[in-house]
Amino acid sequence: MSETPTWLRILSRSGAALLGGYAFSYASTACLARILPLAPADAVIVATLPAFVFYTLAILWAFASRDALRAWAPLALAVPLALIGFWPQALRWLA
Amino acid sequence: MKNTFTQSMAWLHTWAGLIFGWLLFAIFVTGTLAVFDKELNHWMQPEIPASTVSQADAAKRAISYLQQHQANAGNWGISLPTERSPGLSVSTGDRRHGVVVPLDPNSGEPLAVRDSVGGNFFFRFHFTLDLPRNWGIFVVGALALVMLAGLITGIVIHKKIFKEFFTFRPDKGQRSWLDFHNASAVLLLPFHLMITYTGLVIFMMIYIPAGVDAVFEGDSRAYFQAQGNARVEQPRRLAKTPAELVELAPLLAEAEARLGPIGSIGIRNPNTAAALIEVRPVLGNRIALTKGNAMVFDGVSGKLLSDVPELRPAPLTQRVMAGLHFAQFGGYPMRWLYFICGLISCAMIASGLVLFCVKRGRKYAAADSRADAAARRWYRVAEVCNVGFISGLMVACVGLLWASRLLPAELAQREAWEVRAFFGLWLLALLHAGVRPAKQAWVEQLALCAVLCGGLGVLGIFAGGVDHLRLGVEVTGLVLGIGLALAAWRVACPKPVVVKPRAARTMEAKA
Repeated sequence: MSETPTWLRILSRSGAALLGGYAFSYASTACLARILPLAPADAVIVATLPAFVFYTLAILWAFASRDALRAWAPLALAVPLALIGFWPQALRWLA
Repeated sequence: MKNTFTQSMAWLHTWAGLIFGWLLFAIFVTGTLAVFDKELNHWMQPEIPASTVSQADAAKRAISYLQQHQANAGNWGISLPTERSPGLSVSTGDRRHGVVVPLDPNSGEPLAVRDSVGGNFFFRFHFTLDLPRNWGIFVVGALALVMLAGLITGIVIHKKIFKEFFTFRPDKGQRSWLDFHNASAVLLLPFHLMITYTGLVIFMMIYIPAGVDAVFEGDSRAYFQAQGNARVEQPRRLAKTPAELVELAPLLAEAEARLGPIGSIGIRNPNTAAALIEVRPVLGNRIALTKGNAMVFDGVSGKLLSDVPELRPAPLTQRVMAGLHFAQFGGYPMRWLYFICGLISCAMIASGLVLFCVKRGRKYAAADSRADAAARRWYRVAEVCNVGFISGLMVACVGLLWASRLLPAELAQREAWEVRAFFGLWLLALLHAGVRPAKQAWVEQLALCAVLCGGLGVLGIFAGGVDHLRLGVEVTGLVLGIGLALAAWRVACPKPVVVKPRAARTMEAKA
């Protein structure tokens, strides 16, 4: 574990922050826009407004988490969130 | 990254702050200047006269010019004189690529006005860094996100956030820089958070189109239609039937009573039965950003066809956030408040960058230091970039104002040359910082910047076109110049407290 060079660890965490964070905020926005009980046009806006808060939290998480693997947790979390957000598209794709 | 949460956050704050702070400083400086974009536009084009002509008269003159010279154009645009921008201009063609002709509002004759990027350059640079538009928006968005993360990590690592609310210990080297960085950050924390977050909200549908992708299948046109942004259209065959254009003055009065001060008029298919007149308010009659709002009148009968929409709560929220960022509401007092808050944000970022070097300076400055050569080289890079990106950028900004007045008025591609002057000066400042010792580089660039700022008034006298708006720019320049001169003087002869590293350390232990 400690043999991993520093630059690689920083790169991994930065990647987790940038990509994992984007995937997480994208997916949670999609999920919110789908489940909010509002008119679609309003739901999209209300769901997108907090996206940057999610992104910021994911960035902090990526650098704060104890081990390098857990830093990528937001990316993993993005998968179920995206499934909720895009379930009609997912069903159509399966059919 | 590190052992404890606070340590990880401190690491992130330090390094993200250093690497992205240079560009963030540029974004904040140009954003602060863009608060007065119209005033700077006016200053940079001294041929535009001050006028007291009413908007109705100005509109009449613009129409008679267009009737004479552009009677068959498909689109007319008229930009009316307003409080902040006394110029009158007419345009034909579409909005982005139209041909603009400035007119004298007093006579209605075309004016020979020099081409200038104007204060609009700062506005555009603020959200694109002068990159191709879409790239720039994403780069600036990523930087804004880093800024948000920087603010949050800053709160986490600043342990005594309430106890040291107003602490400032001047003349104590590193401690003073830290105090200043903390004080400017904490006192204006709501502003820093607000301006960064609302900046992201403006382009949120570009950054995170997830909602449109999920609910509208990625069809952004369907999304805009669901927002009720339909455009009024007249039957196309009517555009072939000639018809006389209605008198504008009553329409302007009606729109002004409904919307507040008017900024511009657009006329589609003028002189035909399909003529449509769009009257747009100046931005800032209300907090919500009203960009794109217009009252649309029939161009022949003068009947109101479409009013500005009443916004539902969700879009209104987004518009208000965008409006809070654009700072067009509340008139000049609000503008000054944003300007001063913006200056403090800039100072906060700059002091953080300087603090990075001050903190490590002692280790590398001593000739006998044990620091290895590579680390020392990286430290030097940070030092050079600090000078070049802080004082160098300021020199480039004020240099753009000088270029707008000094470049020959009839120069071909004049706007491109102004931009070249801006980036050329910036590059020169970076090179200068690279060849001079850090302290001298700071002093020389800050002094140069002070002289250039203070000298705007002198330039104004010689290059002509004095009126109260331009005088405002010049006086502000003078005040900023004095501030910069003081800064240069402080760097040049600091109070001799921190003489030796050892002395400094005991001072800190006592503090």
